[in-house]
Amino acid sequence: MAHNRAASLKEFAVHLVRRQIRYEQFYALKQIDLKVPAHEFLGVVGANGAGKSTLMKIIARVLPPTEGRIAVRGTVAPMIELAAGLDNELTTAENVVLYGSLLGRSPREMRQRVDRILEWAELEDYADVPVRSFSSGMLARLGFAVATDVDPDILVVDEVLAVGDQAFQHRSTERIQELMRQGTTVIFVSHDLSTIRSLASSTLWLDRGEIRMCGPTEDVVTQYEQSASL
Amino acid sequence: MSSAVTYDSTERRTALVSEFRDIWSRRGLLGLLVVRNLTIRYKRSLLGVWWTALNPLLTVAIMFLVFSRVFRLATPGQPYVVYLLSGVLLVSFFSQGVTQCAFSIIGSSGVLKKLYVPPELFSLSAGLAAAITFGISLIPLLIVQLVVGVGVPWTFMLTPIPIVFMVIFITGIGLLVAAAAVYFYDIFEIANVALQLIAYLTPTFYPASIVPVHLRWAVDINPLFSFLQVFRGLAYQQHIVSWHWYAGMGAYSLAALLVGTRLFRRSWKNLVVLL
Repeated sequence: MAHNRAASLKEFAVHLVRRQIRYEQFYALKQIDLKVPAHEFLGVVGANGAGKSTLMKIIARVLPPTEGRIAVRGTVAPMIELAAGLDNELTTAENVVLYGSLLGRSPREMRQRVDRILEWAELEDYADVPVRSFSSGMLARLGFAVATDVDPDILVVDEVLAVGDQAFQHRSTERIQELMRQGTTVIFVSHDLSTIRSLASSTLWLDRGEIRMCGPTEDVVTQYEQSASL
Repeated sequence: MSSAVTYDSTERRTALVSEFRDIWSRRGLLGLLVVRNLTIRYKRSLLGVWWTALNPLLTVAIMFLVFSRVFRLATPGQPYVVYLLSGVLLVSFFSQGVTQCAFSIIGSSGVLKKLYVPPELFSLSAGLAAAITFGISLIPLLIVQLVVGVGVPWTFMLTPIPIVFMVIFITGIGLLVAAAAVYFYDIFEIANVALQLIAYLTPTFYPASIVPVHLRWAVDINPLFSFLQVFRGLAYQQHIVSWHWYAGMGAYSLAALLVGTRLFRRSWKNLVVLL
């Protein structure tokens, strides 16, 4: 990682000459040795900057590991940001097809699922409306509906559910529980410890890039809470 | 739920083969991206699809007046206007293609930061969209050829050959530019200048024969010249040009693709963190 990142060639050349570029080794994650069994609901907690998002991105194949190896068995539906694949110019229905395709499904399949997805998201009336005018809550519903509809083997949720209103929280939790019953593995990053306690069988606690604790939820969360309130 | 490993970060990947497989498995998405690229372009403009045909015609009309009437340039053995139009179309295909190809990855950085999609897919979709636009612009070329009297030989049907190679070439070069652009945004300025230079080094508005002998090498090694020779030969010149132009076209395309994808893959690992 380069400090003082240059935005143009000229800046880079100038910085180089002035020896203003320092290359430091910054590892967002260190010595992660983690095995997540299939069908498990793994909670992930930790302070901001602990490396939780980085870990999620590595699992989602967005970032390659600098050292070591990651192996994933099954399709991954990442929810690292809910509206990531949405295009403002396209209509809701078109976005469902596009986002689903970005997540790995074929467009033909997605076209067949559009109605069902819009129904769950309660956005059927907006099928032909460009999403440009959507509120963040509507985008959240849309994104979540598509991501959970593609029947992923592994669902990675990175603090995205907090944005919704009560109704959304309720329905999204329901959806996740439904997926769990179908056998989906869920990796759930959250600051909402009550949800973690109620849904997660195991929890991982990341602290400054390292695994502080990993085990039964109750133990880990209690320790985490204690350390946070110190 | 399968127990087969779907993603192993240490898996050895053979160049091009693994990229092809990735892209082929996401071909539905590729189609969507191409369609989206085209519809967005046409939705915004007043004349829509017609602009693809009108733009080069207007440009060529002005160039024709200036170069043929004022500078009195002429191309022996072929009508100047057809020579000019075919050259302008091909070079625009290339420069617009490369620019959009490079932009496509930067433009999709929002998505690429959050989901895994092979980034080459976006580049290729831009190249294909440019090819389709080029295909549409062949219609006015056909018309001009008929009007001027040069006719349309059967070889015109073979023009998809240089088009396919051009898409490969554009994708390779575009990936190179995209890889550099994530580090330095002003690579686009540099690329613009380079594209203009290449346009001048390609015999679009002048016959290759007027280039002084000691400078002729600059034109000969220009990849676009090979493409142009092949394209003009097929479009209206009634003869198959010498095989070495075809070989040049093929070699440049594959080399660009190999180098482009190799360098892009290598830098992508470092770049994706910077996005």
